Amino acid sequence: MTGILRIALPLTVWLAGFCAIYALQGLGCSRHWPEGLDRRATLIAAAALFVLVQTLILLAVLYRPSGFRFVQATATLLAGAALAAAVWTSLPVLTLEICG
Amino acid sequence: MTARRRTALRLHRELARIWAPDPRLRGWLTTSNNNDIGRLFLAVATAFFVIGGLLAMLIRAQLATPGSAFMGPEAYDQVFTMHGTVMMFLFAIPFFEALSMLVLPGMLGTRDLAYPRLGAYGLWVYVFGGSAVIVAMLLGLAPDGGWFMYPPLTSAAFSPGIGADVWLLGITSIEVSAIATAVEVIVTVLRYRAAGMSLSRMPIFAWYILVVAVMILTAFPPMILGSLLLELERALDWPFFQVENGGDPLLWQHLFWLFGHPEVYIIFLPAAGMIATILPVMARTTLLGYGWVVAAAVSLGVLSFGLWVHHMFTTGIPHLGLAFFSAASTLVAVPTSVMIFAWIGTLRQGRVRMELPMLWIIGFFATFIIGGLTGVMIAIVPFNWQVHDTHFIVAHLHYVLIGGYVFPMIAAVYYFQPLLTGRFQVFRLGGVAFWLVVPAFHVTFLAVHLAGLLGQRRRTWTYDEGQGWEVLNLVASVSSFVMAIGFALVLLDVAINTFARARGPRNPWGAGTLEWAAPMPSPPYGFASIPIVGSRYPLLDDPRIDLKIARGEGYLADTSRSRRETLIVTTAQGAPAQVAVLPCNSVLPFLLAVVTSTAFLAPLVKAHAVSVLALVGVVAVALVWVWRLAPARMEGPVDAGHGAMLPLASETPDPPGWWGSLFLLLADGVHFGALLFGYAFLWTVAPNWPPPSFLRPDVAGPALALGGAGALALAPRLAVRAIGAGRGAGPAVGLAALAALALAGAAGSVMLERPDPAGHAHDATLWILAGHVAFHAGLVLIMLFYLALRLVAGKALRIGEARIVGLWADFTAATGLVALGAAWLPGVLA
Amino acid sequence: MLHPAGPAAEAIAGLWWVMLAGGAAILVFVLGLLAMAILRRPSAPPAAGRNGAALWHHGLGLGFPLVTLAALTVHGLVVGERLLPHEAEGLVTVRAEARQWAWTFGYPEAPGLATEDVLHIPAGRPVNVEITSRDVVHSFWVPRLAGKLDAVPGHVNVLRLQAAAPGTYAGQSAEFSGPGYKGHVFTVRAHDAAAWDRFLRGGSP
Repeated sequence: MTGILRIALPLTVWLAGFCAIYALQGLGCSRHWPEGLDRRATLIAAAALFVLVQTLILLAVLYRPSGFRFVQATATLLAGAALAAAVWTSLPVLTLEICG
Repeated sequence: MTARRRTALRLHRELARIWAPDPRLRGWLTTSNNNDIGRLFLAVATAFFVIGGLLAMLIRAQLATPGSAFMGPEAYDQVFTMHGTVMMFLFAIPFFEALSMLVLPGMLGTRDLAYPRLGAYGLWVYVFGGSAVIVAMLLGLAPDGGWFMYPPLTSAAFSPGIGADVWLLGITSIEVSAIATAVEVIVTVLRYRAAGMSLSRMPIFAWYILVVAVMILTAFPPMILGSLLLELERALDWPFFQVENGGDPLLWQHLFWLFGHPEVYIIFLPAAGMIATILPVMARTTLLGYGWVVAAAVSLGVLSFGLWVHHMFTTGIPHLGLAFFSAASTLVAVPTSVMIFAWIGTLRQGRVRMELPMLWIIGFFATFIIGGLTGVMIAIVPFNWQVHDTHFIVAHLHYVLIGGYVFPMIAAVYYFQPLLTGRFQVFRLGGVAFWLVVPAFHVTFLAVHLAGLLGQRRRTWTYDEGQGWEVLNLVASVSSFVMAIGFALVLLDVAINTFARARGPRNPWGAGTLEWAAPMPSPPYGFASIPIVGSRYPLLDDPRIDLKIARGEGYLADTSRSRRETLIVTTAQGAPAQVAVLPCNSVLPFLLAVVTSTAFLAPLVKAHAVSVLALVGVVAVALVWVWRLAPARMEGPVDAGHGAMLPLASETPDPPGWWGSLFLLLADGVHFGALLFGYAFLWTVAPNWPPPSFLRPDVAGPALALGGAGALALAPRLAVRAIGAGRGAGPAVGLAALAALALAGAAGSVMLERPDPAGHAHDATLWILAGHVAFHAGLVLIMLFYLALRLVAGKALRIGEARIVGLWADFTAATGLVALGAAWLPGVLA
Repeated sequence: MLHPAGPAAEAIAGLWWVMLAGGAAILVFVLGLLAMAILRRPSAPPAAGRNGAALWHHGLGLGFPLVTLAALTVHGLVVGERLLPHEAEGLVTVRAEARQWAWTFGYPEAPGLATEDVLHIPAGRPVNVEITSRDVVHSFWVPRLAGKLDAVPGHVNVLRLQAAAPGTYAGQSAEFSGPGYKGHVFTVRAHDAAAWDRFLRGGSP
């Protein structure tokens, strides 16, 4: 079962982070956003954290390898893919209008 | 006759006796064998495909000319809603589930699926639910709000009839069946395999179907929650989607597409798995880049959950929000492309033979690639703003679903036909059918694309002359009828070749995977002994492995225990670990399906009392089911062959029921997550929030909840300890029951504080949260009741049983605390 | 939408032609590879070993879509960003309220003025349409002028329109709304400056 978890984890974390960023953006454009808190700075900080977590996961996969070669190869591939996905799907926070 | 041949024959006779279904009609109702259930499933799903196809022909007949008087809007709205609903829910998902039931145990080298009775139950629930929806349509009471059922159009105010209820209740009952099958598939792939079949030696289809089954468990619950909320709004006026009282119609769209987008991949991935299985065999080679394809399938499965908003690009969500989903949507093209190029590379390294399955796979390539490209186009936000809800979308989704699903499934049917029927193609209508279907498909839907670009909306019952759409629609209609004739020929071809006799050799395609090592057609027991494999393609290593299996040279060839046994292996390495005893024939799954479906469908005719009675019936039948399944005495390890003494699964700490519960709770957890999302969504976005007042807890409620949850988490652990130490588990069971009651009491206090859930969406949400807690506390109580019965009857509890109840108790305690905390939090903060 | 008559529709139509050309090229390329793979003569040397496999995965499977998609997505987002209702010179705001099965249009510049199923706008000036619904979900769509935007009860969505020249443009609701959906259409009349003034003053334009 740990083999399956190693394979499933990186992208599942991506999904959670992706949804969290989207939720943060939704909150940013809602009535609950605190006055004076910069929306873009917050979003960029969250995205940076997201990318950092995804990097740590990749490092963890690389430096704590599974004993099973197939699982290790697949998990490495997917952790890399998840990191790339995190960067790619977070890029819009840098430039686009936030609540337009 | 040689001695070895005699051994094989004796083994066959013994196993055939042990695994035999009941005779005659009774046999159909009591069988749980994957061969029988799979065949029934396949036949019923095909029947629904025919119905959905007829509805499509009605649509194209209506749209052939402008101002058609063939149908009015009332009839047309029902027809297109039902076409979508039937094809998505009654055909696409059940069809691949059926095919997997038939071939998966063979591929994995096991004798049946993990929970044969659950499979039978799923089949019957599906048959009843699907039939109810069709009967409603024949009575003119079909839903007519479109297959994605957007409220407020589908709310009681704008859809007063029972059509929407038919959809909500009928389809939800079928989703229950899909979830049952998904749990069965996951546990089978993870635990029920040939000896030595490690994760990297699994047939590629097993990976695909594993991903798909997990997706079903995580995608369906939001939809089930949405259906529950909408049905509650319709029946009891709880305002989840009505703006005036704090609801928001966009909540439905989120819940629906949280399901709806993964659904597309749930449909595509099994087809892709079939292609990855069939294509290498057709090219006389093996799959190029197995690991890459596995990674691509997993990525596609997860990424597809990050796309749901791309169905909502025109709902007014801020552009940045859309941008995330646009980026994620284009991202999914990458793993898809990895698969496509791996397949093309596979063809390149082999020598292709143009048999029917290969022909249909080429049809897949030619069609699906276009569907994928238009998919990328509509993932681009501004373009989506133009073509959303036009015929362009209709054409795109048919390219993806027919090209990406129906064509590969036809390839799969032709490929597996020798295995399922033991017969070979004698008549060759198949080629003609292919050349009718594929070109006609492209003419039809290229015309539909163009009509959409020229501004034709989907779902209008007719259109006016002079808009430049006449020729396109006529062309689409005519060629769609040619396509329909082609599909009819495929059905005819398969039917004829199923019944015409022409026996042939085993493994006619020269495939490398185990399903071709079983006798043809596969007997109920599948394999005479559980194969031992040392690579991904055991039949290529040893073409005569089928004889070894038949002679009982694998595991579990000993029939002296005279019961249905199969092997359970460790998840990663596939080492033999346990012996599972599969259940005998029983009418219980059928009975349980009858009461389940009655509980779902009785509210349609306002027979709420019948529904409640049926729910009691569900509990009663389930108790009898579990009671009968429990073995009478402890046996200790049994001889599995090859000198392995393995424990019986039911005597281990992680019996199959524990694994099944684990994955069922995954679905349950997603359902709960969707509920929390809905609550947060309304709080953030719904126009008429905050509610007049939030709920302020007193001390008693939270104290009861904390105490109850703590004790509920503790008690089953005490029970496990007591059983392990040989002491009585009675006190622990009693404590757990008290704890569940306390938690239910805390939930009840929330409801009592807010007596009017119809007043505001906030109060209605609190009732749902509290209802979640009370429902799960009730479930745990029923399980504890079963344990208590066993104790009273003087039977020793097993650790496995206590651990299963423990899983459910942990889940109830954890989600109970979160749910009640979420109900109380705004009041504490305010 | 293939005959654009305003900047938004034009930008999107441009996007379409680019994507169609790119899509067609990719289709031909991939099907060509497929045909080559299938028709490869058996006498030809077997496909290159590990290096060949790497080319299929890294080059074609990963690299090719990543580059194309990145370019396309960025392009699409830039276009989308330009179409948003930003601050603009000469901006006019109108209101659109949908119900089963009609549209009521209001004009904040001329309080009390309302039209049924006909929206009047000035030509050549950016127009913000504030869209909402009184009953079920509808969608505001004038194919030749811009993309569509939903009318959701309880929410107001703002769509930017601009008609390049005076004229009449067909509009339709584009979200299924029940049996009267087919007839749920409207007209947009774009006026020159003088006619627009006359309209706002309550005269016939």
